[in-house]
Amino acid sequence: MTSSADVLLRPLRIKNLVIRNRIMSTSHAPGYAEGGMPKDRYQLYHAEKAKGGIGLTMFGGSSSVDCDSPATPWSQIAVSDDAIIPYFRQFSDRVHAHGAKLMIQLTHMGRRTRWDTDAWLPVVAPSVMREPASRSVPKELEIEDIRRIVRSFADAARRCKEGGLDGLELSGAHGHLLDQFWSPSVNHRTDAYGGSLENRMRFGIEAFTAVREAVGDDYVVGIRMSGDELLKNGVTHEDAVAIATEYARRGLIDFVNVLGGQARDDMSHAISLPNMSFPVAPFLHLASGIRREVDIPVFHAQRIMDLATAARAVAEGHVDMVAMTRAHIADPHIANKLAAGREDDIRQCVGAGYCIDRIYVGGDALCLQNAATGREQTMPHDVPPAQTKRRVVVVGAGVAGLEAARVCALRGHEVILLEKADRTGGQVNIAAKAGWREALSGIVRWLDGQVRKLGVDLRLNTQADAAMVTALAPDIVVVATGGKANPGDWPGHDLTCTARDVLEGNASPEGSVLLYDEMGQHNAASVAELLATRGCQVEMVTADRLIAQDVGTTNQPVHLRELYRLGVILTPNLELCELYREENRVVAVLRNTMTGEEEERLIDNVVVECGNLPLEAVYFDLKPASVNHGVTDLPSLLAGRPQPGLAEKPAGAYALFRIGDAVAGRNIHAAIYDALRLCKDF
Amino acid sequence: MIGIAAGLVWLLCCAAVLAASRYVTRWRQGRATRIDWRAGLAALPRRYLHDVHDVVERRPGTGRMHALTAGGLLASLGLVLLTSLPFMRASRIVWAGIAFFAVLGLVGSVLVWLRRWPRKPGWLSGGAFYALAPALACCTGGLSLLATWSAVYGPEQVGEVIWVGRALMALGGAGLVWLLAAGPMKHAFAGSTWLVAHTRPGRFGGGRDTALRPLDLNAPVLGSISPADFSWNVLASFDACIQCGRCEQACPAFAAGQRLNPKALVQGLVHAMGEASPYTGSPAPLAPAVSGACGMHHPIVGVDASIHPDTLWACTTCRACVQECPMMIEHVDAIVDMRRGQTLMHGAVRPGAAKALRTLRDKGNLAGRPPAERADSLAMLDVPILAEGDETDILLWLGDGAFERRYGQSLQALVKLMQRAGLRFAILGEAETDCGDLARRLGDEATFQVLAQDVLATLARRRFSRIVTADPHAFHALANEYPALGGRWRVQHHTTLLDELVQAGQLRLTPRATGPVAWHDPCYLARYNGQVEAPRRLLKAACQNVVEMERHGLRAMCCGGGGGNPVSDVDAQERIPDLRMAQARDVGAALVAVGCPGCTAMLEGVVGERPEVRDIAELVLDAVVAA
Repeated sequence: MTSSADVLLRPLRIKNLVIRNRIMSTSHAPGYAEGGMPKDRYQLYHAEKAKGGIGLTMFGGSSSVDCDSPATPWSQIAVSDDAIIPYFRQFSDRVHAHGAKLMIQLTHMGRRTRWDTDAWLPVVAPSVMREPASRSVPKELEIEDIRRIVRSFADAARRCKEGGLDGLELSGAHGHLLDQFWSPSVNHRTDAYGGSLENRMRFGIEAFTAVREAVGDDYVVGIRMSGDELLKNGVTHEDAVAIATEYARRGLIDFVNVLGGQARDDMSHAISLPNMSFPVAPFLHLASGIRREVDIPVFHAQRIMDLATAARAVAEGHVDMVAMTRAHIADPHIANKLAAGREDDIRQCVGAGYCIDRIYVGGDALCLQNAATGREQTMPHDVPPAQTKRRVVVVGAGVAGLEAARVCALRGHEVILLEKADRTGGQVNIAAKAGWREALSGIVRWLDGQVRKLGVDLRLNTQADAAMVTALAPDIVVVATGGKANPGDWPGHDLTCTARDVLEGNASPEGSVLLYDEMGQHNAASVAELLATRGCQVEMVTADRLIAQDVGTTNQPVHLRELYRLGVILTPNLELCELYREENRVVAVLRNTMTGEEEERLIDNVVVECGNLPLEAVYFDLKPASVNHGVTDLPSLLAGRPQPGLAEKPAGAYALFRIGDAVAGRNIHAAIYDALRLCKDF
Repeated sequence: MIGIAAGLVWLLCCAAVLAASRYVTRWRQGRATRIDWRAGLAALPRRYLHDVHDVVERRPGTGRMHALTAGGLLASLGLVLLTSLPFMRASRIVWAGIAFFAVLGLVGSVLVWLRRWPRKPGWLSGGAFYALAPALACCTGGLSLLATWSAVYGPEQVGEVIWVGRALMALGGAGLVWLLAAGPMKHAFAGSTWLVAHTRPGRFGGGRDTALRPLDLNAPVLGSISPADFSWNVLASFDACIQCGRCEQACPAFAAGQRLNPKALVQGLVHAMGEASPYTGSPAPLAPAVSGACGMHHPIVGVDASIHPDTLWACTTCRACVQECPMMIEHVDAIVDMRRGQTLMHGAVRPGAAKALRTLRDKGNLAGRPPAERADSLAMLDVPILAEGDETDILLWLGDGAFERRYGQSLQALVKLMQRAGLRFAILGEAETDCGDLARRLGDEATFQVLAQDVLATLARRRFSRIVTADPHAFHALANEYPALGGRWRVQHHTTLLDELVQAGQLRLTPRATGPVAWHDPCYLARYNGQVEAPRRLLKAACQNVVEMERHGLRAMCCGGGGGNPVSDVDAQERIPDLRMAQARDVGAALVAVGCPGCTAMLEGVVGERPEVRDIAELVLDAVVAA
């Protein structure tokens, strides 16, 4: 039997380029570029993957080649100027030092971008067709524009080569200019660039030909494209095969990087970046279909999170390189762990989509479960041992407590982890009970496995109190007791149960349910889906403008799809004012946040989601005797310095810290980052 | 007129010659071979007193026992013979000398007795060996009495004591002649013959000769099927075995309960020659019974023969038995000869080995993978490939281990070190093929020679000043076995190269603080090539805390990976690497440093909590000081 490692850890040769294994990360925009340049943060993020053994790391999703495709949205990279070259050189040196190869994606986004950023230039497209995602109405490209952009592609490619990058791809995916020409849904031209597929391929051929002339035949140039736009009047699989075959036949491309779908509207965006509700590798067949027809290597990314699937994709001949992009955000050291036979130590991506969802609201990519990713300048992926060994007691084994215990154990401290429940995981266990959110349990599974492997003294079924903690003679106490559901404070709040009650099984509402959501997160939407699945007639009410307003763009459409399918009534812009009992039912008084008009509902049950309140009793009991009065010194925390007072702490005394929801209800990332940031300096 | 004592000894000599003649008759049925008799005979005293006794004296008690017994007996009898000369006969000094040596011999006889008393250790044989001490004691005891009397009262004074002494001497002498004809004492004659006519005279005087000899593939019989297929001196070597059991104690296969006991194997060969006296030592563990049908032209190996086939394939060719044998018997040569017979004449290799050989013939490597994938693990290190007609300083021979991912990491470390040292080197890339080591050890000389011709042709078209390899098996084959086929190059094991680089300052190391590290000597580096110093020097340069396993250096225990044992579907009670790893644990090693792809694979295959296994190149890389 061939192992995953044997399949994946074989080199791939493309022309003179040798990629050490079959594991890669595709170009994406983590939002780390500064002024259009990939500086230290951006480079170190990729260097970490190189250090972790990846074969090829591609960066710069949608790096722009020209000024009317601005790099400003999503903090992308501008390759439209020679100023980029020194950054490329520094970047490639950093990645090459670890034996990995580095490539970039170049694109002109055409109509799929914004005109209202720094340059204030109109967006352009083959035809004047409004782009749904950006809502931009483009200018139709004139022949002079086409020539200019083709020239820009060539110039950008030259800069990549001069910058020492190992190759590049042009993007013909996600509705960029290249595939805007291909897609009959966008290209209505009647000149040489529209009409037949041959004509629609022309712009791409010109762009690639110019790039080839700029970088030469031995430089690796590829394409990213959709294997099927899954769209009426879009690029079909047959079109995609024809395009890939033709470009390859002409010697224009050395690899084809295939994905499925497009990202023109909310739902297709969610489908093209499949979250945890999707099966693994949902679009592998599209890559496979193209690989059958072309003689060049095929790359593919889309929800390949585990090595078994990755190995299958390569071993069965569907792809040549398997891209585990989000998987590397969760754990940049996948290949090395695989090579070392430490597959169990890989922190597997759970498909929460937290990284990508942050980008689409203008943030930076962060991993829900790995707080070091994207923070390589300050947070370690490999926690180094401490000089002074201490005894650390962590109260609460939710994700904050688990991460604290893990980091402290890696520091070499003696760690005792107390948990009142019979298992670790805390609130994440509750969240994972909701329908398609089950994969969240993977976060706990990894942390739990690591903590046990590191020899943490894990005491389950142990309700800690101050006496018990002090009896353990700790040097440091970390309180990570988490939070409890906030029941709300409006009149009649005693007539409600919380979303968490429903998930925990403490309440089983039947009949008609009004679910009132103050948080706009997964919690209420998940519970609405759960209740509707159980047969309740659910109305989901929120004072926000949208249902699940704060859920990210790759997850929110999935919630909405489920809610619509289950017949949940979605009512935004209503504020809950008051509840009172009428016989055995409840009357909810709601007020429209826009008009101020009140309306009522007579229902069987009311479920509310108002976030978390901290569980802080143990903390306040321990506080008086602690050397630091429970204070986390924020300047030290932010500067990455050890907490003051730890060094000169008298023997027998303890320092006290509080992390995660025990401080204030936030999310998984906040809990884990709290723990890593604090404990790495113990 | 000579004395009665001298007469007895002359009689004894005649009887001994008669008894020994049956061995000559037996051996003459073996194949003829060219022997340098003059040189052999001239070298005999030195070979016996120096080479043989050096081995015997690795166990001081046994050394004393043998020196006293053999020395006392031979010297006293020799002096008695001297008294046949008229002017010596009456010399009381001579008789005093005789008495002195005879008493020494008598003490030796007691020591011989004590070897099996109160309990016979498992590795020693019983049967006729129980008669050895009494016979020796009678002979030397009788002579002591007689000689002491003669020394005190003069040889002319006849008394009852003289008659008792003569009677004891006659009895003991008769016993010794019988033991020569049918038992342990044949080792003196056969051993001397073997020392004179040894197949590897290069081993004497501290030399080393371990390469298998090429086989003429046009011969009517390839290898050995029956005893008569061995050359006559090899047959003598089997009779030379004194069944001391040192090989048995050293043999890894025996220790693991595989169906091989080198001592039983040699005695099986003796039995195959038609020896009637039964074997009374320990058998090959769990070996199924054989009929015991024998004869100089009867097959040796088989159920209806003397040695069970399983025995043959359990050998790892580690040469531990050869290293320990005081008679300098060549067990491994005998095994390979018999394997050649089985493989080339009968095609009777084990299914696993047959598959391995087929893969080697079809693909040119044991992994059965495309040749281009050999250097996959070095893909990102940009190692130049030596094309036909090209020239480089060092040709890095990767070996078939390179196909394995784990071992690829060791090679990566080696290449990084070589790059760091600024060496000019290259690999063969797709052109590298298997060197034939495995085929040769499995007895498939035909496949070996085919593979070797490919290698010779490949290397002849490229220029380099030396070959470096991290695989001791390839090292041994290329360095020691290819010269007989016309391939002569300077070949180095990577530990030698790295040691040179460290000594020359081309690599600067800072010894790292690790847990205790033990160097596991690869058989083909240590016993086959005597290289035990360079790896140790290197390891000390890389690691602060170095420990030695009890069995180390030339006496190290095999990992179980050599000689085709792993592909031969060998039945066992335990795994050899498990035993070796236990030895590492015994000295508290946290790390076992290896220098062979076979050892890496075998020792890493040990399950459960165990010391970490690292190729020495990996440890050196960790210790390299950043420039």
